Amino acid sequence: MTAFAELAEQIGNATAVEIMGAGTQRGIGGAVDASKPIVEVRAPTGIVSLDPADMTVRVLAGTPVGVLSAALAEVGQECPLDPENSAATVGGVLACGCSGIRRIRYGPIRDRVLEVRFITGGGRLVRGGGPTVKNVSGYDFPRLMVGSHGTLGMLVEVVLKTQPIANKSSWYTSELAPDLLRTSIYRPACIAWNGKMTYVLLEGHEIDVLSQASELSLEPAQPPPHPIGEHRGRISIDPTRIGSLAKSLGDIKVPWLAEIGVGTMHVATNNAAELHDARLVAHGEGGWLLREAGAPLLDPFGAVPSNREVMGRIRDAFDPLGKLNPGRLPFARFTP
Amino acid sequence: MGRGRVRAEPLELILYQSDAGTARGQASVVCFPESIDDLSFAIRAANRHCVSFVARGSGTGLAGGATPVANSLVIVMTRMNRILEVDPVGRVAWVEPGVLNLDLTRSVRHLGLHYAPDPSSQQACTIGGNVGTNAGGPHCLSAGVTSAHVLAADVVLGNGDIVRLGGLEPDAIGYDLRGCFVGSEGTMGIAGSIAVRLTPDPPETRTLLADFTSVDAAAETVSGIIAEGIVPAALEMMDAPITRLVEEFVGAGYPLDAEAVLLIEVTGLIGGVDAEVDAIRRVALERGARQVKVAITEQDRMLLWKGRKSAFGAIAKVAPDYYLHDIVVPRTRLVEVLKRVYEIADEQNLLVMNVFHAGDGNLHPLFVFDGSEPGIWERVYAAGDGIIQACLDAGGVLSGEHGIGLEKRDYMSLAYSAEDLDAQARLRDAFDPDGFANPEKILPTGSRCGEMKRAPEGTWV
Amino acid sequence: MTILGLNPDELAGCVGCGLCLPHCPTYRVTGLESASPRGRINAMRAVEGGAPISSEFTAILEACIQCRGCETACPSSVQYGHMAETAMVAIATRRPITRRVFDRILYRHVLPKHYVLLLGTWALVVAQRLHIVPKRFGVPPISTSSLRRSLSSDAFPTVFLYTGCVMDAWQRDVHRAAMKVMRAMGASVGLPGHGGSCCGALHVHAGRRSDAQRLAVAVVASMPGEIPVVVDSAGCGAALKDYGRLLGTPEAIAFSARVRDFTEWVVETGLPKMLSSNKTVVVQDPCHLRHVQHAETSVRTALSASYRLLETDDDALCCGAGGIYSITHPEIARQVRDRKVAAIRAAAGSDEVTVASANPGCAMFLSAAGLDVRHPAELLAAVIEEDNE
Repeated sequence: MTAFAELAEQIGNATAVEIMGAGTQRGIGGAVDASKPIVEVRAPTGIVSLDPADMTVRVLAGTPVGVLSAALAEVGQECPLDPENSAATVGGVLACGCSGIRRIRYGPIRDRVLEVRFITGGGRLVRGGGPTVKNVSGYDFPRLMVGSHGTLGMLVEVVLKTQPIANKSSWYTSELAPDLLRTSIYRPACIAWNGKMTYVLLEGHEIDVLSQASELSLEPAQPPPHPIGEHRGRISIDPTRIGSLAKSLGDIKVPWLAEIGVGTMHVATNNAAELHDARLVAHGEGGWLLREAGAPLLDPFGAVPSNREVMGRIRDAFDPLGKLNPGRLPFARFTP
Repeated sequence: MGRGRVRAEPLELILYQSDAGTARGQASVVCFPESIDDLSFAIRAANRHCVSFVARGSGTGLAGGATPVANSLVIVMTRMNRILEVDPVGRVAWVEPGVLNLDLTRSVRHLGLHYAPDPSSQQACTIGGNVGTNAGGPHCLSAGVTSAHVLAADVVLGNGDIVRLGGLEPDAIGYDLRGCFVGSEGTMGIAGSIAVRLTPDPPETRTLLADFTSVDAAAETVSGIIAEGIVPAALEMMDAPITRLVEEFVGAGYPLDAEAVLLIEVTGLIGGVDAEVDAIRRVALERGARQVKVAITEQDRMLLWKGRKSAFGAIAKVAPDYYLHDIVVPRTRLVEVLKRVYEIADEQNLLVMNVFHAGDGNLHPLFVFDGSEPGIWERVYAAGDGIIQACLDAGGVLSGEHGIGLEKRDYMSLAYSAEDLDAQARLRDAFDPDGFANPEKILPTGSRCGEMKRAPEGTWV
Repeated sequence: MTILGLNPDELAGCVGCGLCLPHCPTYRVTGLESASPRGRINAMRAVEGGAPISSEFTAILEACIQCRGCETACPSSVQYGHMAETAMVAIATRRPITRRVFDRILYRHVLPKHYVLLLGTWALVVAQRLHIVPKRFGVPPISTSSLRRSLSSDAFPTVFLYTGCVMDAWQRDVHRAAMKVMRAMGASVGLPGHGGSCCGALHVHAGRRSDAQRLAVAVVASMPGEIPVVVDSAGCGAALKDYGRLLGTPEAIAFSARVRDFTEWVVETGLPKMLSSNKTVVVQDPCHLRHVQHAETSVRTALSASYRLLETDDDALCCGAGGIYSITHPEIARQVRDRKVAAIRAAAGSDEVTVASANPGCAMFLSAAGLDVRHPAELLAAVIEEDNE
């Protein structure tokens, strides 16, 4: 616990801190305001406890996801955080709130977090949630912290819910329309579509994976390539509107990969202005685009939520002096 | 609000003084909004008169979450019971909070869909109440609790403002206010409409009934199944007294001479289902199950579940009073905690029955007694304290699905530090700065550090 | 003795879990705790604890249709109906004088006196022709030809058919259908003797227990012997089966044991030869058949031999008729019926639908909503093979 206490003191005494993970997702959520003297803080690393019969793991937030996955794999389990780069830290993935590609089957990452310990802007160590798979004692800090971009507190330790690794996991491609595949397959792990090809990830018992693949004449394949480009974004949209958004993105020639049934669309381009255009198109369909990388002049979120007032009050409650990752989540702003 | 939608007759007020739990309060007025605008109007009116308010659905809660304190206005949501929109392609339904949980599933059954959270009171409880307590249910073992099934809500805050939390898109911008709201027991406002996820019905379902001659063997089987890497759709346990009670009501074929039974459901595609059924059977037999029966017909399955879900309501056949606990422990500690529960009941000379979500480690020790017996309540409360202590000692939590409400409010400081509770109070205040929304629930008085409620937090260092 | 005369143990039997709520038709349409079984029991508790028997309390209990759907739903088997009937006795003695006079005429001088009821029915027929009967009363068009011809009893009966009061006046054709079926099955059908014309069910519901007991004694006396007593009205059947408890005498207990619902008797005796019909029928369970007599299976057994049966997905909730409830509480009754009609149409998948209902009150009330409602006896009579006659 002394590591936590040291961190708490460090944060409590600082004017401003930037909470660092592995730096794999630094472009997300807005650049940290460089006008203040920034102290970089890093969460400790390591797996605290892992009992396979509980199907939970207690892990320090600075632990790389790859390290966690390897430890879990030894006991036949996994936790589907699924960042694109497994060097990303557990705390970093949760703070950015970006769910992995298998979300349609395993849910968003916010549903994986059972307990959190974090240090507030005032340097207090706070615990929320609990280590059990079910818990309604008090307010849901775990979900509040996921996607808060380190503006409410620095995650130092979390308890995650794990699951057995499926006995078979295979990618396929299909000529069939993505929506048809979605209704034909029971609990696919992913259906991805780029306008030309539909990719399907099936997980489960080998018999079931193989029989579904043969019934629908799926072709074994590699995972779908993500669109490539220096400027990358992630669109969140009502999944029933993916079709029309895809058409609009095609009109402006921005490549994309959609997670069917989820509503996440990954876009990338080498021209920053095109990412802006993609955002406008997303707004037109009722969605929004999170800048994930590149396009430094582009606003990180591009929209202001209607309930920002509540968000501002929450931020004030946990970090009244605005010292945690200043500049991130600009709309939920510290009000002096 | 229109005629007949605000009531304050003396008997009417008595009927709204508690939910299905034991805590009694006192309502000043009861109102029945029929739209989100009515709801906002009622809350603004309460604000004007400096009266706090509490939402109530069907009143099936057990922790006093809907019990009015401080002469609250009781806002009854039963007339906001329309299913507003069902999108079978997007698998989303917008519902008003007064829709009954099972009614929603019934209304989408023809589409091959259902609403996954299935609390035992699902025939009677409302979706709004489920959201308030982040309700669970047997099938939440694999499907997840209510929060995993709520996408968005239009919420009236404590000052009457209407805001949307969450959305149909996978991620909303900014903090997960939706996630904060679910499980907040009406202390952050009241939902006027809720978007919930609908789940496709599984192609195959098997319901297994394993019976044991000892409670320990059943509990060890639960751990054994999880350790085997199997997460069944549901994994429930009932001990002998409760099994006999429910069998009398439903006649589902529960064995009357077993010391404990496990009700296990496996769903999915045929290959996985068959493999899991075989593995579960093996694990159960290895640990001493007398037999493992698989329910063949839909009717048999339904009867078994009806029995399980009626358990709590059936206890009046034994004695007129009850106290139902709701604790969760890590699954690996189930055997020892269950043993401790029986010891505590023995120490206090009380009859305890156990019917619970074993797969989640979510115990529901149920004390059944006659409250008119002198000194009995003291023993019941002492036993409750003992159970909660045993649970926390084993690394467990205070509630798995009933919520904290009034019932467990004063135990919160056993589970959380003063700083943890202060942070919770701050979060609540951010939603409801004036504190009109269901006051005195969840957090013990004095959770806020001194008079620091509004002072900037960082200044103390 | 407590204020309402309730047994404290019975009252303590409700733990307040709320599982009854969705099975209560009045709660379903009002959303009021006071219109739910749990709320009514808590109101009774409040009165036993010292609250006055106020007009509010009276209104709360009177708003109950007494369908007893809550009893079937209750895992603790709380005897709600019995408690409500007992509480109604206390209420009935405290009514205002004008209401007591009206009640006295209805319950003492109309229902039990069959000639008065028949006279009144003729007046009603005239009023119907003049279009001055409010539609919401749900009175069906009454057949004058049926009313003119009285039923005839067989010599040396092997079974009684209980004819009742309102049903004999308004739906005598159902009795004819029942007798046709029973005779086709080889039975000789006897009718009740003098004084057996009203079962007293409505009296029990209104809290007039001593009136009901007098009528019960007369009904028992009107059908002497050992032979079965068949009833084709679910409400009357439930009342006759409860005479044992109402009167508590050995004769009454023996009598109640002889009582069978029409379809129960048909199934026990062995189904007659029937033609098959391609007709689809939605089964509506009258509450007193399902929740009190628990005879819903025999209706299905009897009808499924010839008809394709469909079920409603509404937990067999009440239709709102409830004896005279649809007249005393027309607004709630109409809303309850709207739910029922919607459930029936949903089950049928169309608006053109035939409904089987074994209770005259339900049948009339649902007919008034535009449904084609038939008694199971009529449906059986229509498909019976008569060649062996």
